[in-house]
Amino acid sequence: MSASPDEVRARFDRLKAREPILQVRGLCKTVPAKDGERTILNDVNFTTHRREFLCVVGPSGCGKSTLIRTIAGLEEASGGEILVAGQPVHGPGPDRAMVFQGYTLFPWLTVLGNVMFGLRMADKPKEEAAREARQWLDLVGLEPYADAYPHTLSGGMKQRVAIARALAIQPRILLMDEPFSALDARTRARMQAYLVDIWRKIDVTIVFITHDLDEAVLLADRILVLKTGPGEVVDLMEVPALRPAAGRTLDDPALRATLERLEGFIHAHETVVDDEPVTPVVRLASVAEEVD
Amino acid sequence: MLGVLSFVLPLALWSAVSYAPFLWHPLVEITDPGDVAYYSKGMRAPADAFAEEVEGMTASGQAPPQGIPANPVYLPAPHEVALALWAAATPAADAREEFRLSSSLWHSIQIIFWAFLISSAIGVPLGILCGSYSAIGRLTEPFVEFFRYLPAPAFGALCVAVLGIYDGPKIAIVVIGTFFQQVLIIAGTTRRADYALLEAAQTLGARNLRLVRNVVVPAVLPDLYNDQRILLGWAWTYLIVAELVGTSSGITFFITQQARYQHFENVYAAIFILGIVGFGSDLLLARLGRWLFPWRRTTA
Amino acid sequence: MGSARHFIRGAALALLALVAIGATAPKASAADGPLRIGYSDWPGWVAWQVAIDKGWFKESGVDVDFEWFDYSASMDAFGAGKIDAVTVTNGDTLVMGSGGSKGVMIMLTDYSNGNDMIIGKPGLKKLTDLKGKKVGLESGLVEHLLLLNGLKKAGMTDADVEIVNVKTNDTPQVLSDDAISAVGAWQPVAGQAMKGVPGAKPLYTSADQPGLIYDVVTVSPTSFAGRKDDWAKVMKVWDKVVAFITDPKTQPDAVKIMAARSGVPPEEYVRYLKGTKLLSLAEGAKVFKDADGFGSLYGSTRNADDFNVKAGVYKESQDVKSYIDPSLAGAK
Ligand SMILES: Nc1ncnc2c1ncn2[C@@H]1O[C@H](COP(=O)(O)OP(=O)(O)OP(=O)(O)O)[C@@H](O)[C@H]1O
Ligand SMILES: [Mg+2]
Repeated sequence: MSASPDEVRARFDRLKAREPILQVRGLCKTVPAKDGERTILNDVNFTTHRREFLCVVGPSGCGKSTLIRTIAGLEEASGGEILVAGQPVHGPGPDRAMVFQGYTLFPWLTVLGNVMFGLRMADKPKEEAAREARQWLDLVGLEPYADAYPHTLSGGMKQRVAIARALAIQPRILLMDEPFSALDARTRARMQAYLVDIWRKIDVTIVFITHDLDEAVLLADRILVLKTGPGEVVDLMEVPALRPAAGRTLDDPALRATLERLEGFIHAHETVVDDEPVTPVVRLASVAEEVD
Repeated sequence: MLGVLSFVLPLALWSAVSYAPFLWHPLVEITDPGDVAYYSKGMRAPADAFAEEVEGMTASGQAPPQGIPANPVYLPAPHEVALALWAAATPAADAREEFRLSSSLWHSIQIIFWAFLISSAIGVPLGILCGSYSAIGRLTEPFVEFFRYLPAPAFGALCVAVLGIYDGPKIAIVVIGTFFQQVLIIAGTTRRADYALLEAAQTLGARNLRLVRNVVVPAVLPDLYNDQRILLGWAWTYLIVAELVGTSSGITFFITQQARYQHFENVYAAIFILGIVGFGSDLLLARLGRWLFPWRRTTA
Repeated sequence: MGSARHFIRGAALALLALVAIGATAPKASAADGPLRIGYSDWPGWVAWQVAIDKGWFKESGVDVDFEWFDYSASMDAFGAGKIDAVTVTNGDTLVMGSGGSKGVMIMLTDYSNGNDMIIGKPGLKKLTDLKGKKVGLESGLVEHLLLLNGLKKAGMTDADVEIVNVKTNDTPQVLSDDAISAVGAWQPVAGQAMKGVPGAKPLYTSADQPGLIYDVVTVSPTSFAGRKDDWAKVMKVWDKVVAFITDPKTQPDAVKIMAARSGVPPEEYVRYLKGTKLLSLAEGAKVFKDADGFGSLYGSTRNADDFNVKAGVYKESQDVKSYIDPSLAGAK
């Protein structure tokens, strides 16, 4: 049941008419290398609007994680600027929350404790923080597990806790770096549905990295495509469909076409992928989590 | 199962060397000196010298000495040590305090307790700060690194001059021996805190000291706990030198005094008890660790 | 369950945070506190244990605290000013003084009468048999002095033997080494060395040169000047101790007390006692006369001073007279 081009155009007009939440302007990122410097991101520009669901795709090593970590304030930009609701970003802040591929739940805290963490850091009184945290847990369907420790949960449940923990601080932007790539296919599909469901209930803009192009097409309003060596924006693609997930299927010819275009982009740039690993700390942590 | 075996095997070896006369036994314990003027009962002579004497005496028609194969006094047999252990467990009513194994041991345990507490009270927070803030680390660690190579016992006389002759200098020596290692080890462990957790915490609004207190410390706590267990063992090794400073006391005094008079069965008994205390307390701490840190399944 | 853990975790952290001040040592003694005397494991000094256990100091109206040390730790404590007096050899009194911890010898306890010895391998009979051979001993200590004294009397010098520096406690093992012909050691180590190498016997002992090494009570000049009456009382008690130990009727009781202090069976302890000549005050008074030779503490100490300088223990010869205060111990 595909949406008509007019409906789609009207939808994107409405979306772009909303206030811009995240503006990335001329963003550059260089790291020191043996022979001087290496450019990871080069002149990245894009804008997302309030309540938009933006997916970021690109070949491995093109700088997707670097981009999202810079937005999160975990890394410094080497050039350009990032504005969140018009304010420039300096370091991490409560207007942005992040969900990592490796869950990164605090193992010494209960599920409730994890979700309360950000609230406690914002100096909310304990009872209030607990009450709010329970509501967020309820939202992801994990209220009954409030007193469990993370190591007793499945991967999907852990990631739901991580989402609840991130949302609890009520950020403007939810940054997600391949959040579902460690999950099996069935769980991943369920998690996608959960996520869109939650996103519709609350006022949050999502920046979602994935290397699963199907996932991007099913979830996104728009898809930011990066190429590698150095990382640059190739395209900011509008997904020709109504709001994310709802009724979308890859049988829809318009979506098929989008998917094929995406595949074309990625293929064209895959030949120049360098074989260096991604930021090692994050990777190691996620491996350790899986072995556990 | 293998754990039990790891004790049984050395014990079996020790028993074999002690009781099988054909294993080692390089000496002969004289049971009857015969006509050899300089032999007396209970003396231990090298086997070849003994054989020569037997030959010489027999040849000249005098009474040859008699004896049984023996090991040097430095290696008492298991039953001798067992008897010494029993004697230690049931001291004579008039035995001096210092020669009751239990009270010397208790004294030593107190030294270790206070020394380890003092060292940890400063060393652990300092180590965590060094590991968390590279500036503090760079400021402190070179000096600590330098200092840890200085032998703690060399400060014995100074410690006596400053802290008196009783337990003060002993505690100080153990503290000096433990503290500097502790700072470095704790700092190293802190640096190995899962970086992903720190980043996650930062995105949730944790900063500076709160980050250290609410994330760094709990994240490395199980490892710190294990470090502390290892460092506690380390402290015990310094006890041996510490207790030779100032007035004589504790288990070391017991051991050195017994060794001076070559009562090696008592020495071994004391060493065994030390081993049991050390091993037992470590086992206990490991269990406690598993209970305290249930998410860490490798708290062996 | 969770809350108990939380509590314990919190308590553990609190415990770590608690800066505990260890058992604070008693403060340095005031002018009227007990006299603090450091003593260690040598029969002439363990003898004090008799007076301690019998409560004779209290009877004589003097307050003393005897502190039991390892020998070298006792010298450290005296050097640090933590005790008022220490039991040492006359030679070591000079060594402490040369290092800045001046003390005066106010009384004698004993001289070594065979407890220090040079032990030769089987077959060796006299010191002259050691010519060109290796002798293991702790250089700079009394056995070194003993060997030099013996060699001199045998018409030899230290150039005639090769001295191998070993810890006294290790001499039993060293003697069984093929390369070593003799060791120098005191009891009980010496006895163990002989037991381990049957046929080994003393070539020269402190009994061959009585007075080579005197054992003394060395007191800090301040304490002695300020509390002379108290020290006089301590010395009176000593006479009682010597009488008690030497009297065959009471000796077993004495040996029992002393053996318990050293942690050995009494029957074993009798042997070590024999190698020590305890000196009553009357006997000591003679030794406190200034004269040359080993019959006098002065002569003996001057000899030790020469040795210390030669052996490089310290550089400058010490003024022996300033280390001896005969005012209480000397003949009246
Ligand atoms: N701190 C750093 N120092 C040096 N190189 C870095 C650093 N961070 C990232 N890189 C390099 O930058 C490039 C981009 O890394 P990034 O992790 O952003 O890629 P990615 O698109 O997320 O890859 P993947 O899809 O595999 O997750 C990689 O080649 C990586 O090795
Ligand atoms: Mg990545």
